[in-house]
Amino acid sequence: MASQTLTTPAMPAGQVGRSIPRLEAAAKVTGRAEYVHNMSLPGMLHGKIFRSVIPHGKIKHLDLDAARAVEGVFLVAAIDDIRKVIAHPYYGPAFHDQPILADGKVRYAGEPVAVVLADEAHIAEEAAGLISAEYEELPGVYDEVEAHGAQVFVHDELKPAATFPDLAHLLGRRDTNVALDFQLRRGDADAAFAAAEHVFEHHFRTQPTMHTPLEPFVSIADASGGSLTLHTASQNPSFVRIEIARLLGWPENRVRVKVPYLGGGFGGKLYIKLEALVTALSLIARRPVKISLTMQEQFFMVMRHAATIRIKSGVDKSGRITARSCEVWWNGGAYADIGPRVTQKAGFTAAGPYDIDNVELNSYAVYTNRTPAGALRGFGAPQTCWAYETHTDMIAAKLGIDQLAFRRMNLLHDGRPQATGTILRDAAIDKVLDRVAERMNWGTPLERGTGRIRRGRGIAIGFKGITAPTTSVAMINLYADGSCGLYIGTVDMGQGSDTCMAQIAAEVLNLDAESIKVIHPDTDVTPYDMGTLGSRSTFHMGTAVRLAALDANQKIAALAEELGVPPNSNLPFSELLRRKYRMQAGNIIGIGSFIPGYDKPDQETGQSANVTPFWGVGGSGAEVEIDIETGEFKVTKLVNVADVGAAINPKLLAAQLSGAAIMQLGFTTSENMLYRDGQLTNGSFADYKIPCLLDMPAVFINEFVESRQHDGPFGAKGAGESTTIAVSPAIGNAIADAIGVRLMDLPLTAEAIHGAILAAGIGGDDEH
Amino acid sequence: MSTERTVRFSLNGRAVKAHVASHESLVQVLRDRFDLFGSRESCGQGLCGCCTVIVDGKPVSGCLYLASFLDGTSVQTIEGLAPADDRLDPVQEAFIEAGAFQCGFCTPGFILMTKHLLAENRAPSDDDIRHYLTGNLCRCSAYPEIVAAVKLAATKQRGG
Amino acid sequence: MRPFDLVEPATLEEAFHLLEGDDPAVRPIGGGTALMLMMKEQVFRPVRLVSLRHLAPQFGAISIDADHRMIRFGATTSFSELEHSAVVARHLPVVVRTMRTLANVRVRNVATLGGNLAHADPHLDLPPVWIALGAQIVIENPAGPRIVPAEDIFEGYYETNLRHDDIIREIRVPLNASQRASYVKITTRSAHDWPALGIAVRLEMKDGLAHHPRIVLSAATNKPTRLVRTEALAHGQPITPASLRELGEAAVSEADIASDSRGSADYKKHLLRVHLGRALHALALEE
Repeated sequence: MASQTLTTPAMPAGQVGRSIPRLEAAAKVTGRAEYVHNMSLPGMLHGKIFRSVIPHGKIKHLDLDAARAVEGVFLVAAIDDIRKVIAHPYYGPAFHDQPILADGKVRYAGEPVAVVLADEAHIAEEAAGLISAEYEELPGVYDEVEAHGAQVFVHDELKPAATFPDLAHLLGRRDTNVALDFQLRRGDADAAFAAAEHVFEHHFRTQPTMHTPLEPFVSIADASGGSLTLHTASQNPSFVRIEIARLLGWPENRVRVKVPYLGGGFGGKLYIKLEALVTALSLIARRPVKISLTMQEQFFMVMRHAATIRIKSGVDKSGRITARSCEVWWNGGAYADIGPRVTQKAGFTAAGPYDIDNVELNSYAVYTNRTPAGALRGFGAPQTCWAYETHTDMIAAKLGIDQLAFRRMNLLHDGRPQATGTILRDAAIDKVLDRVAERMNWGTPLERGTGRIRRGRGIAIGFKGITAPTTSVAMINLYADGSCGLYIGTVDMGQGSDTCMAQIAAEVLNLDAESIKVIHPDTDVTPYDMGTLGSRSTFHMGTAVRLAALDANQKIAALAEELGVPPNSNLPFSELLRRKYRMQAGNIIGIGSFIPGYDKPDQETGQSANVTPFWGVGGSGAEVEIDIETGEFKVTKLVNVADVGAAINPKLLAAQLSGAAIMQLGFTTSENMLYRDGQLTNGSFADYKIPCLLDMPAVFINEFVESRQHDGPFGAKGAGESTTIAVSPAIGNAIADAIGVRLMDLPLTAEAIHGAILAAGIGGDDEH
Repeated sequence: MSTERTVRFSLNGRAVKAHVASHESLVQVLRDRFDLFGSRESCGQGLCGCCTVIVDGKPVSGCLYLASFLDGTSVQTIEGLAPADDRLDPVQEAFIEAGAFQCGFCTPGFILMTKHLLAENRAPSDDDIRHYLTGNLCRCSAYPEIVAAVKLAATKQRGG
Repeated sequence: MRPFDLVEPATLEEAFHLLEGDDPAVRPIGGGTALMLMMKEQVFRPVRLVSLRHLAPQFGAISIDADHRMIRFGATTSFSELEHSAVVARHLPVVVRTMRTLANVRVRNVATLGGNLAHADPHLDLPPVWIALGAQIVIENPAGPRIVPAEDIFEGYYETNLRHDDIIREIRVPLNASQRASYVKITTRSAHDWPALGIAVRLEMKDGLAHHPRIVLSAATNKPTRLVRTEALAHGQPITPASLRELGEAAVSEADIASDSRGSADYKKHLLRVHLGRALHALALEE
């Protein structure tokens, strides 16, 4: 295993570019770090959810009496009880389509129908087991392509939230499961296909997977005296406050949202999860309410979109791709969550990081009767990359061109327009690809084997746009003794944001990063941040922090001037404060806010002059060994390279890149939420296998290249998702290289490989 | 009937007693009676190792261990590992130096398992480490760093 | 989970008394790792659990007969005691090798041999090994003890023919210096997983021929199952590519394999065909 930096960071000597341990390291190794999981409040009740066992149906009767009769039960609530405190109990970031508890109808197996509150969790659990429901079952739709044209509708009508103006046209639309149809048109794809020398078309599928943070979803609400405090394992406390205030009809200042450390998030703990439910219950019960899900229940909360992708390319005589058309169906599950945004943002880049003049894209968010789908480390990019990088490899093979050479020939370079028309800038696609090839020793032939064990290698590269436009605000408070607090809404869920943000502030303020205290999200205290998601924090919040520190420096300078101190005196600000207030008193407060530029894509063509604040770029290379008698295989080498702009903390960054790649290795080879008739059949760690130490490739290399994002803090850009993008196709391409047959669907399993070997009649399968 | 009982045991070197119900697990009792949160239930099936506790010198899954069985045992949790508030155990130091965690939720389990691995095997190979710790899961996937941390801790404990 | 009566008898007689009646919600408990899972899932809701851990002085030892013809394992022996036993390592190395990938260190520290047998999950690694080694199970009952071959206690998926008031006391494994044995755990999802198939094989090699083979398939079947027709076919056979093909086909036709999330029936049959052959081949080559 190796983990190295390609280039020495070209940073000013100082805080940025230092590989300091994370600030909370000691708290985490002693088990004392604070998580909502640990918290309890005086008088707190524990809630247990009763869930639907059918995927689609009307609730005919709900029997709560037996549960109510259990000694120690405080309250049993269904939607009518929720309505007493929240008149319109529907929430969601894109559509207000999700009821706090099932409202007359259930839309997926596992949907919350009722809740029991008790002093002790085991009593609530016991009582929830006594609830029964009668349903009138309705036919369900589970497959995203079928659901697109089905006559079974998950929702009667679409209810877009006002927050997304580009969804306004969907308001009130009926008799459809399509929550968003994004389209992009560039050039003239039809004409280009007609003129092409070769046309290739392939279909791909990706499976549903789950984040499985090891700290399962957990929220506590404490409503008292006309205000509400939420302690919640959330990636976006500001959104939670706004959405809960909307549901309650309260001003934001009556809702306080506090978030300590998260035991993992990965995009799962976004928007509203348990927060609306515990809020309603606390208002009804007039006591604090905590709901902690089990690992098993997490699978009913949110998942990564399964997708079906049709992709078609036209290629000219020289091997240049002249046209590409993609159609993507996203399995959104029963509630939209942030699916429409995934549909749109992943749509921008679904044609891949190639310079193609004629592009046609359609991307559909489709409701089905499954667990709602949302964001998961890549916002759809790993799914589309699976398709376009397998497709690209297949074209190269068909044309007899080396896989690397074919990609280089078609690669998108800085200064050229991407499919949305946005000119590519500060995206080191070429450098990342070069580095992957180098670490794979692509120029040296691979011994592929001729016997039972065959070897192969593959590469892949992908990119993604970043959610825009979004805002971050940061505040720096310099205390009179010379110490410093940094107030930010960014949630540290393991990515190391506390540490990186402290380094950025320290760099500007000329302090030691370790001496800065980062104040965790508390919407009464920390300013607004859109959310810790989509690789946005280093760029957005990092910039806000830098601006806040600069603002503080200006205020220090102004204070010095006011006190008649010469500009080059070097007096510390604590001394200035002492002189001004004649004792250890006062503060210097710096504020920074940042929203990057954005040009909304045209509704018809998806064209935009500025579609993303920056580009995330990731490339991977894989070597595999396959036992062709059984299909059993090992990833023996995995190389992952990301463009990070510049590294604020190289060691933390390397660990994040490595972790993302291993997570995607799980999504590639083992993780798969299996459904039978709309029922999840493997929702626990016994049957849903995430990677463990023995799954690690023997050779595992993670690197980054630095493109210096021109407007990023000290040249940095976000990188939390970049190494998820290209892992799957790199492995799939390696398998094809080893055995000459293609798998088109994820996950890549031994059985699927064996099936492909049998279908292709490749020798060596026993001696039959 | 004995649905409840008082158990007396040693917790991080201190003699304690607790009144426990028969259905309560070790991890629940540590949390609810002793405010010790470092071993924590995650998968609930003994597969992830987040609830690791050392009982009579051996790591166990606190979520699958009946608290009633604690009577007469000696229990160590992550909170009792560091010799002093300002001094860490060499395994804890190694995990920090190697950067062997991200969110930190699984970390106490990995550290306690490592402590026990090194008690059994002073110089484990990569393969020994992978096998011994493969029943602990890290969703942030700090696995390469964890292997490095265990080796670093082994060196530190040998006085290297 | 809800509260239940938890009792810890110090004698067998007391234990029998506490297990009296035919309430399925009254059960013995060993290490409890498997029962805890069932209780947490509310698949099993106990009224009373009778802990056997205070019987450990009589039930917890590993001993070898003076003539070295039999090893006896007390039922409350934990997996880790087995794993670290020098006697077991010397006389039954296959058992120690099986431990390396069995569950995990924490479970091995707590789970007991008796509880493991009584749990009867077909995915468990040790029962097929016991069966292949010809283990006998000593079962205590108020009506008197009995000794049964290990394979005879398994009835089906999580099902044994143990009676309500039975208590497993001991596992006896006959020793045979010339036997060779292996257990192959085949996982199809993560490297660390319940097996899709477990294949336990023991045999003796005489003059290049396999003798008295015992071949046991687990995980893919609803209980650990001896493939007796395949065993009969293998007895007295040389281990050659041709005989291995034949044995593989025999095993596939004999085993009743169903599809599940670890693989389709067809694929698991194929894995059996290939891996049984490889296991036999490796044993034949063993020195």
